[in-house]
Amino acid sequence: MKRAIRIGQGEGLVLTANRLLDGNIVWRDESGIWRPSIAHAAVLTPDHYESALDSALATAQKDAVVGVYEVVVRPGRPPQPVSVRERIRAFGPTVHPQFATELEA
Amino acid sequence: MNAPVGHYLYNAADRGFLGERIAEFEGQVRRRLEGSLSEEEFKPLRLMNGLYLQLHAYMLRVAIPYGVLDSRQLRKLAHVARRYDRGYGHFTTRQNIQFNWIRLEDTPAILRELADVDMHAIQTSGNCIRNVTSDQFAGAAADELMDPRVHAEILRQWSTLHPEFTFLPRKFKIAISGSPQDRVAARFHDIGILARPSEAGPVFRIFVGGGLGRTPLVGQEMFDSVPEERLLMTLEAILRVYNAYGRRDNIYKARIKILVQALGIDGYRAEVEQELARMNPDHYRLSPETVEAIRARFAAPDLSAPEGASDALARDRRDNPDFARWVRSNTHPHFAPGRIVVTVSVKPAGEIPGDASADQMDALADIADRYSFGEIRVTHLQNLVLAHVAQDRLLALWQELQAIDLGDANHELIGDIVACPGLDYCALANARSIPIAQKLSARFADSTLQEKIGPLRINISGCINACGHHHVGHIGLLGVDKRGEEFFQITLGGRADDLARTGAILGAALPEDDMVDAIARIVDRYLSIRETGEGFLDTLTRLGDAPFKEAAYETV
Amino acid sequence: MKRFDLSSPPRSGHDGIAVVPVDEMEESTRAVRLTPETDVEAIGPALAALDVVVVTFPVFRDGRGFTQARALREYYGFTGEIRAEGHILPDQARFLHLCGVDCVMLPEGSDPTPWQEALTLFSGSYQDRLGLR
Ligand code: SF4
Repeated sequence: MKRAIRIGQGEGLVLTANRLLDGNIVWRDESGIWRPSIAHAAVLTPDHYESALDSALATAQKDAVVGVYEVVVRPGRPPQPVSVRERIRAFGPTVHPQFATELEA
Repeated sequence: MNAPVGHYLYNAADRGFLGERIAEFEGQVRRRLEGSLSEEEFKPLRLMNGLYLQLHAYMLRVAIPYGVLDSRQLRKLAHVARRYDRGYGHFTTRQNIQFNWIRLEDTPAILRELADVDMHAIQTSGNCIRNVTSDQFAGAAADELMDPRVHAEILRQWSTLHPEFTFLPRKFKIAISGSPQDRVAARFHDIGILARPSEAGPVFRIFVGGGLGRTPLVGQEMFDSVPEERLLMTLEAILRVYNAYGRRDNIYKARIKILVQALGIDGYRAEVEQELARMNPDHYRLSPETVEAIRARFAAPDLSAPEGASDALARDRRDNPDFARWVRSNTHPHFAPGRIVVTVSVKPAGEIPGDASADQMDALADIADRYSFGEIRVTHLQNLVLAHVAQDRLLALWQELQAIDLGDANHELIGDIVACPGLDYCALANARSIPIAQKLSARFADSTLQEKIGPLRINISGCINACGHHHVGHIGLLGVDKRGEEFFQITLGGRADDLARTGAILGAALPEDDMVDAIARIVDRYLSIRETGEGFLDTLTRLGDAPFKEAAYETV
Repeated sequence: MKRFDLSSPPRSGHDGIAVVPVDEMEESTRAVRLTPETDVEAIGPALAALDVVVVTFPVFRDGRGFTQARALREYYGFTGEIRAEGHILPDQARFLHLCGVDCVMLPEGSDPTPWQEALTLFSGSYQDRLGLR
């Protein structure tokens, strides 16, 4: 699924998905492993993310993840998604602070 | 076991069916994990078992047929919330409950637990006939012509795993009411049914093609008086035309309302009549014996009340103004002398509309056992109802509700906000609905002020799918996305009753931060310009939206 | 393609028979393939001469074939074979059967086990219990 995405100056991309078994959000790290925290996500440059996305899609069934796609972020520790939606996915629902995602997990 | 008050009592065949359905779902999960079912194939199958993949996890939507629960079922929901979720559940605008933090691998076990109390998640999602909704005051309201629940149960059974209508162009929602006061928004359903008695038995008025979403349309009358025997036959004919001709090329044009619009109600009716002429009525006949057999599985509660119950209530109201205010806003007349219908507000000021904790559910189950024959109903405004309370015990009930934070006097007032889950939970959302609802209800928490403002319905949807029914809110808010940031569009003047209409857009969308103040300014303006006795909609009709527009955009 | 029978005993097979699209029907045609758009009415008069009607599913979510099969059986009393082709899931086997379909054509080498299981999973239907049909 290639989509038209808008990437601003200095922004990068991370790959995300949901785990098939429990539905939890995961982020792809440098070695292609899906991790529960965006803090471990590999930040890709706009020129390089497509091959990473293709390989993530190709192994999705084996890796037991669904809905693989890319998210625009401002690099940092942890990377900050540009959209509200992805910030909520990365850090947890704003209305239940007790369910905030543990970034160092 | 005695039949539960208010809903159908399962028999061995019903229980057997649930077991078979769970076995089927287990097999589907297994095939998905093995890879013989792709995600594309699995998705519609899990949806038809109520399982969505949402923003943070799977969400399981459990069916509450026609909105009626018994206390043992509510306790089971509390148990599911504790054991498999994060200790709470969310009552939806379609009288169901959903859990936001479910694991796929736990789902068969959850479904088995639910089946232990005759519950399921069948057809709470997917392009099939969804769980049927009905009047939350059914079998209790003084204004009712006919209790619609027996026929609602018949519709549930008829639509369950219907061989022909499980892969429709799009979802299909049916509501049925037996009161001239339309409390089910019949004209905003794919099919809305108004039942009434006649000398020849029950007859049904049928509206088709209503709905909210991207193209809000008010349903039109297709038939005025369908006899009971022909009820299912007529529904089959309507659905058959839809299944054959409804659009499948564009998800936004796939609902039956678009087909009704394209053919015209008369054109659609002609198609339906052509089907009916070719169908064999004997094959589709809903016989009186079948209806009676189902009716017999509903208990008839003893609704007598102690002598002097009404006098006791009158005294309690006189002595306690806060209680009296709650009685004014949160009760409805019962047809039985000495009884009263109670709406339990699940909208405490500053909290998430429709969320209930497992502890609250357990406490409510106990309260229902003691005050209302163990029966609880869910309303499409995300509240709960205790339908048969003896008037002399109303004060005690209110005190118990207050103790669990469910005693707010705000039903149908500004604090009774309907909000969809929005961007905090929903994968389709543009904006967060819940925080605005929380801030607004906190701002207008004062119940004296709420009563002064009078009936005012605020509905919030996080996207154009309109699960928060913003089109029919007196004030509606719709979340829109502007480059990844949250904005809201305001509509005014919607209503879902007999004068059903959708609200009109007030102007350009405002950023999320400005929303609460903008709504507060609209309400303040209304208070300053209304004439004596005028409700919000009256003032809006008299003066148009100009004064409200001015107020809303004052600082922009 | 491999034939999987939904009805037992199976209807007599017409495996070798030539199937043509609706707009290529001739007087000698014995088997015709509908698309989901086909109005069954269009072939109504010709049905008496047909042995096989094929309903097709371009994708399993497109349920028009269910209504076509029922119209064939109920409105026209078609007693020949109704066959389903295309993207169909085992989970739909029972629905197809209840709508009057006799068999489905599966890709060569596909495993019939989930299809067999799907047919025996449920002991009855709510529509039956309500006395419909
Ligand atoms: S209205 Fe939109 S955001 Fe709200 S629950 Fe429905 S789909 Fe989700």
